[in-house]
Amino acid sequence: MQNKRHLKISFLVILVVLLGMSLASPAAAQVPVQEPGQPVVPITLLSDVQAADPIEFETTRLLAENMRQLGFEVEHLAQPRDVYLNFVWFNRMDWQMTAWRMVGRPERIDPDEFTFNLFHSSTAESGFNFVGYNNPEYDAIAEAQRVELDVNARRDLIFQAQEIIAEDVPYVFIAHPSLPQLVRTDIWDASTIVDQQGIGLENFWTWTGLTPLGDQRTIIAPAPSNLNAINPLFISGGDDSRITELVWDRLMRIGPDGLPQPWAAEEVTREDDLNVLVRIREGMTWHDGEPVTVEDVKFSFEAPQTGESPMYEPFVSNIADIQIVDDQTVRFVLKEPSATFEIATLSKLNLIPKHIWEPLIEELLTSEDNAESIQEDIPIGSGPYRIVDFDLTEQIILEANPDHFSPPKADGLVLRIIPNAESQLGQIQTGEINFLRNFQGDSEVLVELAESDPNIELFSSPSLGFRFFAFNERVDPFDDPALRRAIAYITPREPIINNIFKGFAVPADSFVSTAIEFWHNPNLPQYEFDFDRAREILAEAGYTWDENGRLIAPPE
Amino acid sequence: MQHEIKVNEITGITDAKVLSGGSLLTNFLRTNAEVFKRDRLALTGLIILVFFALIAIFAPVIAPRGPFEVIEADGFWLSNEKPSTDYLLGTTNLGRDIFSQLIYGSRVALLVGFSAALAVAVIGTIVGLIAGFYGGWVDTILMRLADVAFGIPFLPFIIVLVAFLTPSIWIIVLAMAMLLWRDTSRVIRSQVLVVKEQAFVSAGKVSGASNLRIIFLYIAPSILPLSALYGSLAIGWAILTEASVSFLGFSDPDVVSWGFMLQDAFNSQALSRGAYYWIIPPGLAIMLTVMSGFFISRGYEEVLFPRLRKH
Amino acid sequence: MRRGIWIYIGGRLLQSLLVLWIITTILFFLFRQAPGSPLAAYIDTTFTEEQQQALIARFGLDKPMHIQYLTYLGNLIQGDFGDSFRYRAPVTEQIMDVLPNTLYLTLTSLFIAYIIGVVGGVFLASRRGTTVEKGGIIFTLMTRAAPQFWVGMILLAIFAFELRWLPSSGTSSPGVIYRSEIQKLTSIDFWEHMLLPTFTLALFLHGLPLLLMRSNMLEVLDQDYITMGRLAGYSERFLMLRVAARNALLPIVTALALGIGYSIGGNVIIENVFAWPGLGRMLVSAVAGSDYPLAQGAFFIIAVIIVLLNFLADVLYSVLDPRVGSSSQAQGV
Repeated sequence: MQNKRHLKISFLVILVVLLGMSLASPAAAQVPVQEPGQPVVPITLLSDVQAADPIEFETTRLLAENMRQLGFEVEHLAQPRDVYLNFVWFNRMDWQMTAWRMVGRPERIDPDEFTFNLFHSSTAESGFNFVGYNNPEYDAIAEAQRVELDVNARRDLIFQAQEIIAEDVPYVFIAHPSLPQLVRTDIWDASTIVDQQGIGLENFWTWTGLTPLGDQRTIIAPAPSNLNAINPLFISGGDDSRITELVWDRLMRIGPDGLPQPWAAEEVTREDDLNVLVRIREGMTWHDGEPVTVEDVKFSFEAPQTGESPMYEPFVSNIADIQIVDDQTVRFVLKEPSATFEIATLSKLNLIPKHIWEPLIEELLTSEDNAESIQEDIPIGSGPYRIVDFDLTEQIILEANPDHFSPPKADGLVLRIIPNAESQLGQIQTGEINFLRNFQGDSEVLVELAESDPNIELFSSPSLGFRFFAFNERVDPFDDPALRRAIAYITPREPIINNIFKGFAVPADSFVSTAIEFWHNPNLPQYEFDFDRAREILAEAGYTWDENGRLIAPPE
Repeated sequence: MQHEIKVNEITGITDAKVLSGGSLLTNFLRTNAEVFKRDRLALTGLIILVFFALIAIFAPVIAPRGPFEVIEADGFWLSNEKPSTDYLLGTTNLGRDIFSQLIYGSRVALLVGFSAALAVAVIGTIVGLIAGFYGGWVDTILMRLADVAFGIPFLPFIIVLVAFLTPSIWIIVLAMAMLLWRDTSRVIRSQVLVVKEQAFVSAGKVSGASNLRIIFLYIAPSILPLSALYGSLAIGWAILTEASVSFLGFSDPDVVSWGFMLQDAFNSQALSRGAYYWIIPPGLAIMLTVMSGFFISRGYEEVLFPRLRKH
Repeated sequence: MRRGIWIYIGGRLLQSLLVLWIITTILFFLFRQAPGSPLAAYIDTTFTEEQQQALIARFGLDKPMHIQYLTYLGNLIQGDFGDSFRYRAPVTEQIMDVLPNTLYLTLTSLFIAYIIGVVGGVFLASRRGTTVEKGGIIFTLMTRAAPQFWVGMILLAIFAFELRWLPSSGTSSPGVIYRSEIQKLTSIDFWEHMLLPTFTLALFLHGLPLLLMRSNMLEVLDQDYITMGRLAGYSERFLMLRVAARNALLPIVTALALGIGYSIGGNVIIENVFAWPGLGRMLVSAVAGSDYPLAQGAFFIIAVIIVLLNFLADVLYSVLDPRVGSSSQAQGV
């Protein structure tokens, strides 16, 4: 029949339309190559989407507008974080410029992690130096500060490192956000809230020191999304760490002043450059009643060396040997001198009970999985809080451990998963929660709420985390420091902080936060907003503008 | 062949019924005129739709500002302004004029609504026509495809698709077109089965008309009102779906839609601020446009299935 | 006749399996289109190139596509969806944890919605032609036209935050964790948390059965035997409730089976607004967090439920309505 062909064709068309469409793949990013003397290549500026991170999105929108006025052709491409992470992190030649952020963590109070990992050339290929910054002079300083045991000499090195970065502008620093918290002051004694430098008011010391005023003696706080795991050998997320640091003790803790202090250790002594002697407290017990021994301590640092805890492995890689000296003392023998052993290793590793984890680790050695896939029914640590019960999608229930050498003042702590920020606000007013933390909404609302409700008080302090724009120095045109410097001059920090952060931020000029007074270099070049200065810098570097105001790259 | 259960979610029609004769396009137009003449609700729906369409077309004239334009005063953004004569519905927490966003939002709503409706109606009608007319293995395969589309969870599918491709309203329209043709095609198919046995179609066959001619000139006109019915339902679903996807945070960041506005309002804690002028209008706008689609589809239903009207 | 039904059911079952296989295949290829690296969740300062490669190998992402597909199908048949990237635990476990919550919410809401719908439908049919009927229909259409999340948020603002009558999120109060499903279902606390999401969902769902019931009633009331009944002097009330309502119920029953399937897929919104730990919320957070095995598993389970219920609806219909069985026999399915 002649119509059979029509039939087949229409049938095929339908099939292709219906099923083929699902196989359409997203377009890959193409980074253009700059021709000398030609208009500067179009820039794709990446950021998160408005719904997920309004601050990043709005900030980027502002800068994109200013860059256009300076003569760039800019497309602001907003995508979910995981999508642009794919370019920025895993396809390092395929992006040009992006908004980014680093978050504050207690161990980052020491400047080593940012100084070394962010900008040392050895981490450029697959590590944290995603911008591909490469400067041998800087590398030498970053390496030197690691082994410099004299703290003042080390500070000089850190100051130098900050100066180099401020001059070379691999990042345009924007701001250190402040972390606001709401506390029910009818339930909690506000004077017992501790401000940990650069970490804010919600920290280990506040959780253990917060003192109840009346009958409500349990801290109830929200978490905006599900927890991933409660596992002492797995750094699974920010809020997850909030729990692990309370349940498991560490030999040292980073104090409110940002310096490591003995915790489960009674005393930590450096015998020489390579030997560190640690005497542990007497009478500590695990939550299941077993005593904490030096064997447990030794095991806690050896377990990650098996490779079964990849995230903790780097922190123990400098340990050559752990010797048991007596019932209360162990000696760490290092491979090479380290200025950061106390903060990056002794204050970082969780002490875990050998009687529980040794059999588990042995089993793992012969399987494909590692310790990250293990979830104890009721995790056992020795810390100030112990786990009563938990459901990672609903709530984590902790109770005070009365047998601890430093028992918490509260009776317990409940972390409830409440993704909806409106619900969090409603619940602190009804008292369903009494400590509002990690708030993902508009901070301004917290101010209004604290003003209108006498029982609710707002606390906030700047973080050591920071937001910034990053240039990919591997690709055109951002291999030119002059261009990067010019963009630093047209980044409107003040309007950004006033209008987008609603004042909940301080301007940033370095990867070391101004909140960390000891390490922050106070004499860095400031890139005050100056449009004319930006044009000058570009002109000096040989850039010109065509009749439409479009920026032209320097001739050969 | 199986028995299909056809449930029209809005009108409650459980089975398509035989239409009165008539085979030409004029019949379709006459039916349309009849729908709006007879049914006051359908007419109301049409008026609402036309009203929003006019707003969408003249948005740049009506809206005092751009949807993303920041209102500044002394270097500060004019955020959280209450409604006033300057800012009819106040401003957002980042200094945007809510009224202007509402006006521009109508463009996305109608664009998504109409294009999804068109896609659903066209694909569903063509599939239904071909399956019903040719029967046999063509019918079997197309209807199994419809089964597949019925088995795929609608909203999760759209969320996955939008998350995997670049966020855009067209992905939402595409995803709806890929799934929602199923309802339309099933109903159209069973209607075709009935119509093709009728005398005027047989007459066409005898007079030597080609299959395509028979499909498009003889059969199609009599099932077009059914397509229109399902199309007008799809307007509502499309707008609601776009709003839901935006609310979950998977929307195109450069486009202001009503769903985006609501998401923005909730994420900026408009409820806690008591900024009802920010929350109520976009929701009402969505409700009104979606309802207008429902009203119109009821109008078609009453004309197509006159039994319901008798009482 | 009876044999006809069994042949019909068998054929229908085979079809459902075929449909499931096609959906599974689409799902596999769809998720291979996912952007971003599955390793995104692993990024930290500490990862070396070798560790990344080891992870890729561990999740089998280094094998050729057809091998991955066959492994995937094989595992699926055994109920193994792989390990969640994010939780480092079997997807099946994660899904089984939250599936009951989704079922409780969906079934309760549907139950309420269909009771209201059927009663409301009969009522509206009995008031045909009046302004009450018109108003009822407009109200019902409004509940279907309003965005669910918008209604949900407004109800939250009123009942949870202003009046403080009801809790606003989750399935339990601070400090309460249910040890078993039985304990959960017998706890007053759980039902208090259920109230608001159930009400919001039922408000949306009641429209379909209501409108369906109304139009079925009108159709039945138009039949000759009703007219005969009137002439024979039966009361309007008797005819309405005993005769018409009974006959109009059949399509509602099948619509209910379909409705369960569809609302499980559509619960995504409600679960997110009320922080209900169910399948929909898990799916959204898995998609947003690039946890592809988990997202794929959740999606698949929802699809299985829908296909299964579509099958049941058809079977139910064929059993209740004898015409279906015979016609399918005639056509030799």
